[in-house]
Amino acid sequence: MSDSRYDAIVIGAGANGLAGAHYLARAGKRVLVVEQHEAIDQSADIGWVPPRVLRELGVNTVNIEAPDPWLTVPLAAGGTLELSRDVAKSAEAIRRISPADAAKWPEFSARMHTLASVLERLYLAPPPDIETRNVRELARIGALGLYVRRLGKQAVIDLARILPMSIAELLDDWFESDALKGALGALGIWHLKQGPRGGGTAFNFLHHHVGSPAGVFRPARSNVTQALQALQGVEVRRGQRGTVLAKNGRATGVVLDRSGETILAPLVVSSADPRSTLEPIAIELDPEFAWAVGNIKARGVVARGTLMLDRAPGYATLCIAPSLDYLEHAYDDAKYGRDSAAPYVEVQRTGARVEVHVQYIGTSGHPDLPARVAQALDVRSDQLQLQAAEQSLYHGELTLDQILFMRPVPGWSRYRTPIEGLYLCGSGTHPGGGIPGAAGRNAAREIV
Amino acid sequence: MSLRTTPFHPRTGPLSEGQAWRRWAGYVVASSYELSHEREYHAIRNSAALFDVSPLYKYLITGKDAARLLDHVVTRNVGKAKVGQVLYTPWCDNEGKQIDDGTVSVLNEQTYRMTSADPTLRWLHLNSSGLSVTIEDVSEKTAAVSLQGPSAREILQLAAQQDLSALKYFRLTPAKIRGIPVTISRTGYTGDLGYEVWVDAAQAVPLWDAIVETGTPYGITPAGMLALDVARIEAGLLLIEVDYFSSRHALIESQKSSPYELGLGWTVATDKARYNGQAALEAERLRGSAWQFTGLTVDWDSLELLYAAVGLPPRLPSQAWRTSVPVYAKGRGGRQVGYATSGGWSPLLKQYLALAHLESQFAKPGTELLMEITVEHHRKAADARVTPLPFFNPERKRA
Amino acid sequence: MSKRYDVIVIGGGHNGLVTAAYLARAGKSVLVLEKRPRVGGAAVTEEIFPGFKFSMFSYVVSLLRPEIIRDLNLPRHGLHILPLESTVTPMENGDYLAGWADHDETRRELYRHSPRDAEAYDEYGRLMHFMAQAVKPILSMVPPDPTSFAPGDLAALLKLGRHFRGLGAERLHALVKLMTMSSADFLDEWFETDVLKATKSASGIIGTFLGPRSPGTAYVLLHHYMGELDGVFRAWGFAKGGTGAVSEAIASAARGFGAEVRCDTGVSKVLVKGGNAAGVVLENGDELAAGTVVSSLDPRRSFLQLLDPSHLPDEFLSDIRRFKFRGSSGKVNIALDSLPVFTCMPDGGPGGRLHRGAVSISPSLEYVERAYDEAKYGEFSRRPYMDIVFPSMIDPGMAPPGKHVMSIFVQYAPYHLNGGWTDAKREAFGDAVVNTVESFAPGFKSKILHRQVITPLDIERITGLSEGNIFAGELALHQLFFLRPAPGWAKFATPVHGYYQAGPARTRAAESWARRGGSRRCAS
Repeated sequence: MSDSRYDAIVIGAGANGLAGAHYLARAGKRVLVVEQHEAIDQSADIGWVPPRVLRELGVNTVNIEAPDPWLTVPLAAGGTLELSRDVAKSAEAIRRISPADAAKWPEFSARMHTLASVLERLYLAPPPDIETRNVRELARIGALGLYVRRLGKQAVIDLARILPMSIAELLDDWFESDALKGALGALGIWHLKQGPRGGGTAFNFLHHHVGSPAGVFRPARSNVTQALQALQGVEVRRGQRGTVLAKNGRATGVVLDRSGETILAPLVVSSADPRSTLEPIAIELDPEFAWAVGNIKARGVVARGTLMLDRAPGYATLCIAPSLDYLEHAYDDAKYGRDSAAPYVEVQRTGARVEVHVQYIGTSGHPDLPARVAQALDVRSDQLQLQAAEQSLYHGELTLDQILFMRPVPGWSRYRTPIEGLYLCGSGTHPGGGIPGAAGRNAAREIV
Repeated sequence: MSLRTTPFHPRTGPLSEGQAWRRWAGYVVASSYELSHEREYHAIRNSAALFDVSPLYKYLITGKDAARLLDHVVTRNVGKAKVGQVLYTPWCDNEGKQIDDGTVSVLNEQTYRMTSADPTLRWLHLNSSGLSVTIEDVSEKTAAVSLQGPSAREILQLAAQQDLSALKYFRLTPAKIRGIPVTISRTGYTGDLGYEVWVDAAQAVPLWDAIVETGTPYGITPAGMLALDVARIEAGLLLIEVDYFSSRHALIESQKSSPYELGLGWTVATDKARYNGQAALEAERLRGSAWQFTGLTVDWDSLELLYAAVGLPPRLPSQAWRTSVPVYAKGRGGRQVGYATSGGWSPLLKQYLALAHLESQFAKPGTELLMEITVEHHRKAADARVTPLPFFNPERKRA
Repeated sequence: MSKRYDVIVIGGGHNGLVTAAYLARAGKSVLVLEKRPRVGGAAVTEEIFPGFKFSMFSYVVSLLRPEIIRDLNLPRHGLHILPLESTVTPMENGDYLAGWADHDETRRELYRHSPRDAEAYDEYGRLMHFMAQAVKPILSMVPPDPTSFAPGDLAALLKLGRHFRGLGAERLHALVKLMTMSSADFLDEWFETDVLKATKSASGIIGTFLGPRSPGTAYVLLHHYMGELDGVFRAWGFAKGGTGAVSEAIASAARGFGAEVRCDTGVSKVLVKGGNAAGVVLENGDELAAGTVVSSLDPRRSFLQLLDPSHLPDEFLSDIRRFKFRGSSGKVNIALDSLPVFTCMPDGGPGGRLHRGAVSISPSLEYVERAYDEAKYGEFSRRPYMDIVFPSMIDPGMAPPGKHVMSIFVQYAPYHLNGGWTDAKREAFGDAVVNTVESFAPGFKSKILHRQVITPLDIERITGLSEGNIFAGELALHQLFFLRPAPGWAKFATPVHGYYQAGPARTRAAESWARRGGSRRCAS
């Protein structure tokens, strides 16, 4: 059955897919969104949603959490360290475990925030095209360079030094307390198959700090996907997985897996991960490009799930990562394909749900994982429901070689693909995972 | 550890009178068996020369999508080829620059054999994503000989006890030689009547014996690469790493060539689904190529004059050369307009021939140019005329 | 008051000697001061056991740039480099992986392990060769300071930017990958043979505090293709007479241009008068005057030991204090009664070629990564990665006839060992090395006539290299280029007028400084 009622088909009804779809609809296109899961995902969206996206799409039903304290860290000696949204208040709390660290906290917060703001500027547009001869693009790059220079010499040096660093080295330079470093270091290895001593984890740390106020080092949580779902303007079909169709270098539409139906459209935008989007049409691609797509590193190291508790917990986010070495040991296990014997666990309360994030998981079967997590949290295994994600939830790890103009494939970072009419807009593209909606917006703006 | 020998080496080894060997794809093959290659060359044009061509890389491609894979890789239309057909074809990278050239033999509906000068296994694999196909490297398992010359058909018919008169140019047929299963293809690298015989490596020696025994009364002569080189120049056939560089090996853009620039435009199909380099090739076809690959015939009188000036008779290269030699436009201040990459004296045509790359405007047949010749340590230039390829094209080649 | 020199160079290692030679060639009167009895620093040949000569620390030649060899005419001063042709990696199952000098042979060897890798190897080699060519010019540039508004720096930045753009998309992307990925991840894209990836990665972690899965190690893969011998990329070589012969040749060249080289003369401080360098104070208290002082020691010594902190800006001081050194390598030098027999190739290969090349103990990625894991937590590797060569096989003069010297370079041996490096720990480390070799070459131990174990602490004590780091400062992305040794000070000059720092990329700068007159005002 063919059907050209649509100008564009968007694959995936997550935040990026929906955002992209709605931007296209606003530009006058008739859009169909195809989503493989029947049921709507109830879990929270993790990451900073650019306010611009919400404003431009007219979304006012979104609920963005700003928990205070934003992190609760159990201390080995007993009690907890609570980090607040107010920098001075956090410094006070830190003073009880280390006066030296407390004294550094405000400056650390300020410096990291400056660097994150540079990334923020980069994320609301396609990545700089450094190979271009286009005058406007060169001017944009120049403006970015000037912006960075005006932040001061320290910022430029920080940028060059810190981006490639390991989070362990960065934190060791500033702080002495293991508990504080462990809790912060966890953000550096978030969703990465790397330990805190690995280069590039400082970048990952900054990436996930984008959009948060100074001194808050955990991404925001919201229900932006649900809010986008409530918008009118696009048709959504659930329960069907869409596979791209292409012929002679052009996208022609999508075929649905359960009904077998073919839907034609000249424009297909996929928020699914680049590999699964492009592999079915590999024959249309040049082999070097297909090889590069196959090389995208998207190793899953995270298990997510829910925790059933009798009473709502007193914290917003609880972090089990007592030191950098703890995290490094946890990563060592993953290197050899095993689940961490002592995993990094983070528990997040969002409304009535209590969600769990666990790192690292190995590559095959996870029989002991619930028991280990339960032990770390001092709960029973049957209170936990965990699901291991074998593929990275960010479609492409946020390593230094897979960001900006290298993401998702070097040289193809502007959402296009070699197939005419086929675009990518998911977290596998710039700016990457953890910034819901940004890629969708950027992609749509490239298209129209 | 050293170079390996081909499956025919037990027979070819003892034949070498002067231990003149060379490397080909990691194997040792004969440059010539006799002390000079001349008689071996004449056998090609006069009776039958027997070459060991086992070092070619060979791949067996089977499965439902075998033709699709090959069509994705090469420039010719494999899908349209019939069982029993052999296609000579180059293949290109995404920019339409030539990577290598070889043959694709249609052994069966879903079975193809591809040969190449350079290893191609990885390239085939990279191109096979999403296809239902099996790629097997049979280079070491399959041996091959090439029998070229006016007596080639008679010899093989006798050896195979099979009528080969119906086997057309660039077609193949299964056969049995003294009970050994082989494939005989009417292909070769000499531009003459000739066949290549493909056999399982384990049966190489008995096959050689069978062919040689049968052919001895007809003057069959084992021949080496030096003889082949002269014949291939007469036939206008290009050689990778000599007449062109694989785009894979090129260090700079100007070292790359497209099939159009190599006179292989006829192999570029225009009726195929998407294949590597298609867009770039189509664009080049429409705008025309900057270079052409064509023949040069050096003018004898001009050559003689250059040598006479130093009191010598002309020195003719009896072995073909493979160095690069500048070609200039005629006239005052004539600039360099190309370069010859292969050349030598043709004993058959009694002419000094060369294969050259020329800027398109200077490549029209009949154009008079100058080719550099070094005479007694001084650089001179002899008159040369652009000659369309092949230089030698006997009727028996296709008859 | 003794003679006044134009330039005093502190440290008679390679960098100091090369700088001295160029400065002397440009007409300056130069004095080199070396605290040890001989020049060379970490490139010395010593007769540790009677009749047996060892390249004590550094053991192969490659990254000595050909311009230097030509400019200083080192062959005339005794430099003779012999090629190191092969690498054999014994595997734990008794098999091996070899890389030979001949391309066809190497291809067949790889093909034996994986037909696809055999082809991928050629493609990979081509890419690396291109990349090495593209990157080399950058390495000999003094890195421009992006924080500076000085016209010279801006011009240099622009030039660098243009160079990067000139690489073309494919090479630029490959460069980004090489600089940011781990060698394991980078090689995973090309190859499937684990032992191949392990051997190549291992060369990526030499001298670093990183493992094959650590981001940033892919870059060192490129160095293999930057080594240049006789115009051929990526060949390593032995200097006849050991690496000490290289140092002696450079010293001889320097003397040939008029430089004076004094050994057994340690410097305790740089004299600073009125904010300008004025000479040095020796360990014995003597003072020597010079208009210019060049330190070829590592940054920690150059700035924190030789100078009073009051002469340096606060920010610079804290940057230097923060500059990481963590040595991670050890060396075991062995005098052998006869060559060890490796299980994987008992006959030593055709013509005994196994012992004429390097033996790499890196049988799998997991093996090398586990060696790193131990070092991460402050222990030396019980089963370390080792790069083994037999110099006497290439240069028979290094040992008595029929006997041999064996040079083992070891990763990892952290400078900051839990509990510190005691004599007992040194011996235990030596045992771990010897036992590991024994497991691949049974009977090895019985052939040892003498062994010398060198820990990072020993390297520091003997050569002065801080924390025993063989690169005079960790090679990590965040302290490279313009950030090395401190942001904005990757140049010949230092914050103290008249005081300069020698280093590989600074030779050209030094020379042009000298030719311009070498006055303080030309400090850049």
